[in-house]
Amino acid sequence: MKKILRRTYFGLILFLMYAPILTLIVLSFNASKSRTKWGGFTLSWYVSLFQDEAIMSALYNTLIIALVSAVLATLLGTAASIGISAMKPRAKTIFMGITNIPILNSEIVTGISLMLLFIACRVTLGFTTILLSHVTFCIPYVILSVMPKLRQTDKSTYEAAQDLGAGPIYAFFKVVFPDILPGVISGFLMAFTMSLDDFIITHFTKGPGVDTLSTKIYAEVRKGIRPEMYALSTLLFVTVLVLLILINSSPKEPADTKVTSSRRNRKQVFRLAVPAVLVILLIGGGIGYSLKNAGNASGEKLIVYNWGEYIDPETLDMFEKETGISVTYEEYETNEIMYPKIQSHAIAYDVVCPSDYMIQRMIENDLLAEINWDNVPNIQNIDQSYMEQSESFDPGNKYSVPYCVGTVGILYNTTMVDEPVDSWDILWDDKYKDNILMQDSVRDAFMVALKRNGDSLNSVDVNELNQAANDLIEQKPLVQAYVVDQVRDKMIGNEAALGVIYSGEAGYTQRENPNLEYVIPKEGSNVWIDSWVIPKNAQNKENAEKFINFMCRPDIALMNFEYITYSTPNKAARELIEDPDVRNSKILFPDQEDLKNCETFQYLGEEADNYYNELWNKVKSR
Amino acid sequence: MNKRKLLTGPYLVWAVAFILIPLAVVLYYGLTNSDGQFTFENILAIGTVENFKALCLSLLLSLISTLICLLLAYPLAMMLSDMKVSQTSFMVLLFILPMWMNFLLRTMAWQTLLEKNGVINQILSFFHLPSIQIINTPWAIILGMVYNFLPFMVLPLYNVLSKIDKDVILAARDLGATPVYTFRKIIFPLSLPGVISGITMVFVPALTTFVISDLLGGSKILLIGNVIDRQFQQGSNWHVGSGLSLVLMIFILLSMFLTGKYDKNGEGGMF
Repeated sequence: MKKILRRTYFGLILFLMYAPILTLIVLSFNASKSRTKWGGFTLSWYVSLFQDEAIMSALYNTLIIALVSAVLATLLGTAASIGISAMKPRAKTIFMGITNIPILNSEIVTGISLMLLFIACRVTLGFTTILLSHVTFCIPYVILSVMPKLRQTDKSTYEAAQDLGAGPIYAFFKVVFPDILPGVISGFLMAFTMSLDDFIITHFTKGPGVDTLSTKIYAEVRKGIRPEMYALSTLLFVTVLVLLILINSSPKEPADTKVTSSRRNRKQVFRLAVPAVLVILLIGGGIGYSLKNAGNASGEKLIVYNWGEYIDPETLDMFEKETGISVTYEEYETNEIMYPKIQSHAIAYDVVCPSDYMIQRMIENDLLAEINWDNVPNIQNIDQSYMEQSESFDPGNKYSVPYCVGTVGILYNTTMVDEPVDSWDILWDDKYKDNILMQDSVRDAFMVALKRNGDSLNSVDVNELNQAANDLIEQKPLVQAYVVDQVRDKMIGNEAALGVIYSGEAGYTQRENPNLEYVIPKEGSNVWIDSWVIPKNAQNKENAEKFINFMCRPDIALMNFEYITYSTPNKAARELIEDPDVRNSKILFPDQEDLKNCETFQYLGEEADNYYNELWNKVKSR
Repeated sequence: MNKRKLLTGPYLVWAVAFILIPLAVVLYYGLTNSDGQFTFENILAIGTVENFKALCLSLLLSLISTLICLLLAYPLAMMLSDMKVSQTSFMVLLFILPMWMNFLLRTMAWQTLLEKNGVINQILSFFHLPSIQIINTPWAIILGMVYNFLPFMVLPLYNVLSKIDKDVILAARDLGATPVYTFRKIIFPLSLPGVISGITMVFVPALTTFVISDLLGGSKILLIGNVIDRQFQQGSNWHVGSGLSLVLMIFILLSMFLTGKYDKNGEGGMF
């Protein structure tokens, strides 16, 4: 009876631990790209995974960084533990305190402070800086796992070995080391695992062209996680699980409870097989990978910094082939995470694609270079109305070339909303309590409230802003969740009736769930423009202009439009769209009439920004 | 014996360069404003109603999760320590294994499970059971915290419990102590280092998290981690962000102090 109870309890906990993992495994076989909808069984993600060079190279980077940093951390950490254990209690406490800092400190603080340090020391961000940071937060895990084992070792055996004539080093490796080996190995495994799972610190300390799986996954968050990632995680997980089972079943041990320590150690040695297999895989993969890239060493270079999933990778290949310029491609997931990297001059990017208000902020802070229009003749393909719209953040069209455009509106589910939707007011209707999704960003949320009151979305009037904040507080009980990218999956999965969404996402959600409709409310909304700009410290400005010109070519713009599904400002490309439903879609290409009350965000200055944030904090903490 | 201390050298250099100096950078940002002038304003920002409320809520939620973790993990660790040695190492690894799936993906998977029309509710409605509505509430955040940090509680507890001499327990029973009394007087006091270290390992990351509250709380519930993250990523006000981080560091120091006091020999390690 007791045994059954125990087993049930154990089973329940393991179920809790593995339920999400099971979910991810199931999702990796889901034909639909949406997380919330089952579209039938498929293996296609596993196939496309291995054809995706970017994912494979990210996998390779992740594993090699995890391996090297775990090895370094194990060496440094084990040596340090031996030293620390010989110290007096006070010194020991101080050392252990320092050791605890990276484990306990908030990751974002560690990440940014390391980035600032590297920049201050003029170390170029790249593979090495990721490695240094990973070693830093891995060492503590090694120390914490080796120290207890060291404490358990019997000092007299070490002394006895020395008395019998062994040198200190010989005595250590023959007597002490076998005893602490299990601690060293589990420290290594823990370090490896932690390095594998880290995102935030990697993001801030990485340089262009180096991606790990985590940074790839996060860059994809904005446009939706690609199912290949589920497939890859499943494969990784299953590989480790199988390895573990193999290692555990190979040495058959007698079933007595008092296993001697030497036997236990022998068992631990088998665990070395895990890293050993990984090393072989990595070296093999590395050679294959470097052979593949051997031909790519031309002189001309270009570093592109773009939103995640915001370009058709094929256009990059075409650009490289046509111009002979080798492109290093980098991704970010928000304007705000991109800005500190540009501002700190951490990396000399050549082309970046920020949004409207961020471009204005970069212009004001003198971070951008003027574009030489003689090198960008294809600018004539861009719809004149978007060039005019751009003037609100880039007066005189000196710095930016529109790449993607869109509006913000309400997406609603016709099975849950009967009345016509044409106003932001419906987001304040009690009927839809717990059925409303709002955007989780200051400016987008305030845009809704300000526009509803007939004010400008760039308002800096204290009364207007306070009114908007009060309205948002009043609305909060009705809101199911504040989301950014999640709105797409939640609306597809019928989780909510109404959601504030970017127009580019609307088309995709409608394909997955035909009950969804998109509308730009009559009070007006936000017209956003993401444009190519060239940072002032760009090293390859002419190549950057060539790239921008290439992106404005109608056929290339069309390829990107079809890949991203966000609307293109390129009118020549729009004419090439074959499907008349898409070409004439009001969602993608709204008329001037629909846009008459719409505005584009502007940068309002630090003081106003802080005030917005203060009010938004009030709303969120209510 | 003194030569052994030299082995700490490389780590010392490393720690100064990559732990202490970056910390000094945070300190500098936390104590200056954007003009580079010295100020306490960033630290005092914790006193505003919103930030203070977020801090209190974070403390409350992380305390509850820590307690739940402790209650769940203790029996589990006891069972693990009773198992055959050949089984335990595998069982312990079972708790580290989930970390091989990306943290964000795992937490998003909980969303798929818990949503209104999510997997769990669909199963419940199939059996005509009432649905559970905990997504976007503090309970979902607590669940996320417990899920993510449970291994950090199980491992140190398992370590101390497996080291308790079984003869001591048998002796207590022989002398007439009831199982409950044995637990109260022998097992629990002996496992205290593990309990304290487990509490620290769960409480601190739960206190500073922002991803879990964003994904499972629907961003409706603002924790102190979210406030700090917002200052760095959305408001781009690194000074206030650093100042608030320094406040959080007080709690981190406090828990380090507690660990040091009760776990003098570091028995309650993770491994």
